Amino acid sequence: MSDAKPPAEGGPIRSEALAELRASVRALRGELEQRFGIRDTPPPAPDSVDDFGPELAAPAAQTSPGWFEGIGRRLRARLEDLDVVKLYEALRERVSIPGAADVSAEVDEFGLDERYLLRARGWLDWLFEYWWRVQVSGIELVPDADRVLFVANTAGILPWDALMLAHAVERLHPSGRRPRPLVADWLATLPFSQSRLARMGAVRACAENAERLLLADQWVIAFPEGQKGALKPFRERYRLQRFARGGFVPLAARLRAAIVPVAIVGAEELYPILFEPRLLRRLVGVPVPITPTFPLLGPLGIIPLPSQWRIRFGEPIWFDDVAPERVTDPLYVNRTREQVRGAIQALLEEELPRRRSIFS
Amino acid sequence: MSARRAPRSVEPRPPVAITGVGTFTGAHIAERLLEQSPPPRVVALDLRLPRRLEGRVRFHRVDLTEPTADSIVAEILEKERCETVLHAAFFTDPCPDLEYSHELEVVGSLHVINASAASGVRKLVVTSSAQVYGPHPDNPNFLSEDHALRPQRSAHSLRDRAEVEGLLRIFAQRHRALVVTSLRPCWIVGPSYESAITRRFESARVVTLLGYDPLLQFLHELDWLDAVELALERDAPGAFNLAGDGVLPLSTLLRLAGKSSLPLPHPLLYRATYLEAIARTGDPPAALLDYLRFLWVVDTRRAREELGFDPIYTTKEAWMSLVVARKLRGYR
Repeated sequence: MSDAKPPAEGGPIRSEALAELRASVRALRGELEQRFGIRDTPPPAPDSVDDFGPELAAPAAQTSPGWFEGIGRRLRARLEDLDVVKLYEALRERVSIPGAADVSAEVDEFGLDERYLLRARGWLDWLFEYWWRVQVSGIELVPDADRVLFVANTAGILPWDALMLAHAVERLHPSGRRPRPLVADWLATLPFSQSRLARMGAVRACAENAERLLLADQWVIAFPEGQKGALKPFRERYRLQRFARGGFVPLAARLRAAIVPVAIVGAEELYPILFEPRLLRRLVGVPVPITPTFPLLGPLGIIPLPSQWRIRFGEPIWFDDVAPERVTDPLYVNRTREQVRGAIQALLEEELPRRRSIFS
Repeated sequence: MSARRAPRSVEPRPPVAITGVGTFTGAHIAERLLEQSPPPRVVALDLRLPRRLEGRVRFHRVDLTEPTADSIVAEILEKERCETVLHAAFFTDPCPDLEYSHELEVVGSLHVINASAASGVRKLVVTSSAQVYGPHPDNPNFLSEDHALRPQRSAHSLRDRAEVEGLLRIFAQRHRALVVTSLRPCWIVGPSYESAITRRFESARVVTLLGYDPLLQFLHELDWLDAVELALERDAPGAFNLAGDGVLPLSTLLRLAGKSSLPLPHPLLYRATYLEAIARTGDPPAALLDYLRFLWVVDTRRAREELGFDPIYTTKEAWMSLVVARKLRGYR
């Protein structure tokens, strides 16, 4: 609008502008009359300001520019700048499809959405620095190779450890690569989790997916304890469960990926699982762990404990000089699997005594 | 039409038989074959002939559900000296008449397979569906052709299709001289293709399942027809997954289309629409709605390498072509 300038200041400019406007309006009206015979309003009386609306013709506002007037004027200017259509579009985008605000129109083949990740980075950083105060050691041991398979211990029902480990590598490793965590099957059936995890780069844990990712030279995080690890009771924390499928060894050996054992201390206290009733699992279809807070406090029980974390990377295991026929040898595979498991357990034993309590 | 076609030969092409010429695929492929120069003789088998093909193809009225359909088809194939058979006599959408559907899809396919074996046919192309893999929470992100076929138990038409795939595999093992190709397209969309899937996405407000946002793939109808034509031209035995490039989450697709979603909790939706779905498709709602919950994305590498499949439309473009066409037609 042309009247964004407050009418109180600059008398001559105002009158010039008014005269111009008046002339153009008169010309337009004349043309309308001539061409279409439209004469809806009487032609303006010379020098009458009333045609142009009350804004310009409000002499009272000019004489006493009080505090309220100033606010009102500024507000009006703001409102006039506002594009109603744009606002409506933005609102509709955000409201109509929950969770789809600020997503990009492209995802990679496993559903990673760069824009979503960028938006999530803020709170991932906050979780990393303030909620869990993660201390990372041994990041220099992570090789700058094309294919790296991180193998870590897991606990806690939701894959916070996967998110933090991926975040730690991305923040601290010189390559800046973000490994993609393989998450448990049952999260795929859990509403709300799968879509968000997939947008942040997580992939369902299965041999086909891991192979495809490694072949595309992506870094991958595996948690071979699987569901047994995620649901282990509190009293068994930091005791590595049997590596459920263990398909990661032949896979890494075949694709010549380096295995990096990782110990995550602190993540196993997030949800102290008292027990996990079988009957309830059968009734609901997904495991329902009982923690001191979970069914009791409802959704509040999902808030993880702000324990202090330590992430420790171990010496990588290479498969470059392994003969191809040994890759399928079950004895060799089993030995290597136990070697990785032992390495993680040793790292855990080293890190655990270093903290004074679970919060420091 | 497409530049990717093999160079044209001068000698007359061997006749092509199409069963189910009344379907979208059958009719369009018949037209495409007639556009080639010189056009091969097209032998059409169905209950009825689309009007625009009248007088241009050699039509035989055959009911594949008849008990002696195999010898009738074999006789026709022999008489017309057909070398290639395109078997497209399948329902586009699940038919609520379970028995007739089974008779046509499984027994009818068996008749066509046996007739092909008996009459010296060289190549059999069957239009299957990638839905035979079924949507499952434990699917890998990309299903390859070697993955087990696990159609949902509740989806009768997909169980039938999987049975046909099994028949084809046995048949291919027995008759090694024959080229047996089965094409498994993911959801086909496009300006003119009509199916339960396209109808599901037509309205301005699409029902989705609360808390689930699966990755989806689409195949444009022209890419589908190109693939069928390629399979008829080249000798590529085996099964082939077909899909456009790229995957997109359902929420992103809806946002691109300017549609809004109506997320409903799936236990509620499954129960509320149970009777309606049974009446319309013969299956409980899970047969279709599970695709909006679980992973079901196919890997098309094999079709690219062995069939020469090279889709023009990506998943996003195919989806947008559906959306734009429906908008012009007055849906929102």
